[in-house]
Amino acid sequence: MRATMGNRRLCGARAAAVAVHGTAVAETRTAVAETRVAAVETRTAAARTAAVAGARAAAVAVFAACVVLLGVLALPPAAWADDENLVNPQQRPDSSFIYDTAISALNSADTYYDGQTVQVVGEAVGDVINADVGGSSKWINLSAKEQGVTYSIAVFMSETAASRIDTLGSYGKVGTTLQVRGTFHLVCPEHDGVTDIHANVVSVVDSGSEHPDAFSLEAFIPGIVAVVAGLVLMGVFYRLRERQR
Amino acid sequence: MWQRFTLDDVRTIGHYLGVLILFLAAAMAVPFVVALAFQEWKPAANYLLSIGISLILGSALRLLRVAPARLSRRQALAVTGFAWIVLAFIAAIPLYMSGHFNRFVDALFEGVSGLTTTGASLVVDLDHLSLADNIWRFMMLLLGGLGLIVVALALGLFGKRSGASLYSSEGRSDHLVPNVVQTTQFIAKFALIFILIATCILTVVLAFAGIDPVRAAFHSICLSITAFMTGGFTPMSQSVVYYHSFPLEFILMLLMLAGSISFTLHAELRKGRVAAFFRDIEVRTLIIWVGVATCVLAASLSVSLTFNDLPTMLRRGVFMVISSFSTTGLQNITTNQLAGVFSSGAFIALAVCMAVGGSAGSTTGGLKLLRMGIMAKSIVSTIREALAPDSARVVVTYYRLGRRRVSPDIVKEAMTVFVLYVSTYTIGALVGIAHGYDAMQAIFESVAMASNGGITSGLVVPDMPITLELFYIFEMWAGRLEFVTLLAILVEVVVSILPAKLRNRPHKQESVL
Repeated sequence: MRATMGNRRLCGARAAAVAVHGTAVAETRTAVAETRVAAVETRTAAARTAAVAGARAAAVAVFAACVVLLGVLALPPAAWADDENLVNPQQRPDSSFIYDTAISALNSADTYYDGQTVQVVGEAVGDVINADVGGSSKWINLSAKEQGVTYSIAVFMSETAASRIDTLGSYGKVGTTLQVRGTFHLVCPEHDGVTDIHANVVSVVDSGSEHPDAFSLEAFIPGIVAVVAGLVLMGVFYRLRERQR
Repeated sequence: MWQRFTLDDVRTIGHYLGVLILFLAAAMAVPFVVALAFQEWKPAANYLLSIGISLILGSALRLLRVAPARLSRRQALAVTGFAWIVLAFIAAIPLYMSGHFNRFVDALFEGVSGLTTTGASLVVDLDHLSLADNIWRFMMLLLGGLGLIVVALALGLFGKRSGASLYSSEGRSDHLVPNVVQTTQFIAKFALIFILIATCILTVVLAFAGIDPVRAAFHSICLSITAFMTGGFTPMSQSVVYYHSFPLEFILMLLMLAGSISFTLHAELRKGRVAAFFRDIEVRTLIIWVGVATCVLAASLSVSLTFNDLPTMLRRGVFMVISSFSTTGLQNITTNQLAGVFSSGAFIALAVCMAVGGSAGSTTGGLKLLRMGIMAKSIVSTIREALAPDSARVVVTYYRLGRRRVSPDIVKEAMTVFVLYVSTYTIGALVGIAHGYDAMQAIFESVAMASNGGITSGLVVPDMPITLELFYIFEMWAGRLEFVTLLAILVEVVVSILPAKLRNRPHKQESVL
């Protein structure tokens, strides 16, 4: 603390000395400036020609810089890379996120897909099944039809996400179409080896709909006719048998 | 000399097939009522039409012989043999009309698979199938699991005169009570009680899992039938994986085990003869066999990169072993996991389990544990005879409702069926390979079809080659009849069609003499 106070006093004395010396220099500079004013007017014309020359020099300098930069870039990477910025030529492209994966692809997935983030779109079918005792997590089945074959996958999601499903697909019902982004497990370690997706983001693509069968008596007519014909034949059989007795 | 069918035989066989078709028409009333109850009008119309077609066809066939005589053994074999395929045709009609099958052969495949309790399915978009159609699939499992002839006899459709020959022609020889009709009634009652109890328990389990009570009851009925009848159909496309429930899987395992034990042994347990139950050759073979299969599967999985931790191995592995050896075909792993993630050793272990099958006189398929046990005893007998002095008389026995001697006739029967099964597995595998499929999958699928196991490794899909599909239909049919009945009727049909000149050609040996 005392040492700091002493340093401050020393600095103050030096500042006062510089101020006195500065005042004398200023007076001499004023006189010189007055003598130079006349000379300025004569220099203006010369300055214009000098500016044009300067611009040319600058353009040449920029051109030279570009040539040097291109030369540097043309050199092999090892010539200018340092040890901490090595390029790995065997580096694979980032594939930790597989956009818009088909459910059919997951149905025949190999270990490449295991643990990857995938995004699938499918219809929620069947039932919402509790994944734990409290029901805070749910199992949903997503189904998608491709080339006449239906594929499905189990999705593990939160109760909140599952609550967005308004209809579950079954006979006469088209379930809510969901887009699910989550982690795919070929053999899920958390769920005793089941193949599933652990959903991170669930969004509704299309709401479900119901289309119950409309009753039509005409549809039953062929059946009624066939049953009546069958019963008549049966009656004929029993009649013939009674006669034989 | 080969015997041939006479016109009289054909008329009598036609009459009894007609009776069975009428019975199937009555069975279709169940899905028809379900369709009406749930206002599924299109399926209801389909089932009404199918009932009508069945009534016409059944009555017309009955008219072939208005007052039939008592069935001979040959005629009984023909009725039983043809019943499975004829009824599958009829059963396929409403399935095809549902619009969930790409072609009629696919629906026929489903019909044969259901009646033979194989459980392989070709339904497109099963998750949107109507309740009525789904119930019909499980009705087929129920009828086929009990045995078409058993059910018909239990209901008294064939009268009292033709019972014994029909009963034995379906591959059954156990007589729980002296009367055949009463025996079949016992089998039917016992199975229905088992299914009813299991349905109640499973409904509670599924309701706790958050499934709507009505749907929970529907799922429970289906699952109880499929597990006890060792069928393999499920109401949802993801099989048992769909439910994500260990309690449910545990109950299903118990049901499959119960279904793979002979009804005769169930009757023994019911009478309180626990010691006799555990002394039985099949129960002992079952315990040893399941233990060995589980150990092999566990050893195979433990060296693989996945399914190698204990909880996963126990839950998935044990379930799959029980499902395989009982030839049920339920899966708590996906087909992709089975074909692509399971180790090849585990894959083959499951195929061997299906090939062997469960207990004779149960609802399972495959070679049967009784035959395996008898063949093992025969090997013991051969070794003992080789070591014994010339004057000694070696007698090897086995326990099956009392002590019985391993006679040459029993061994011959077991060996014949064994050779027929193995030949069919091999031929089926070659057919699969000839269609360009992977050899391992072709072997697995062939075994699954002929043993009525039904676990598929991915070859049975809606757009599979039709020739392969037809061969698999034949395998399922032949496997359910345990070959002898089918071969007998095929020979009779061929002999009946052949011209008299070829048929009566003297044998070489006779001409030499």
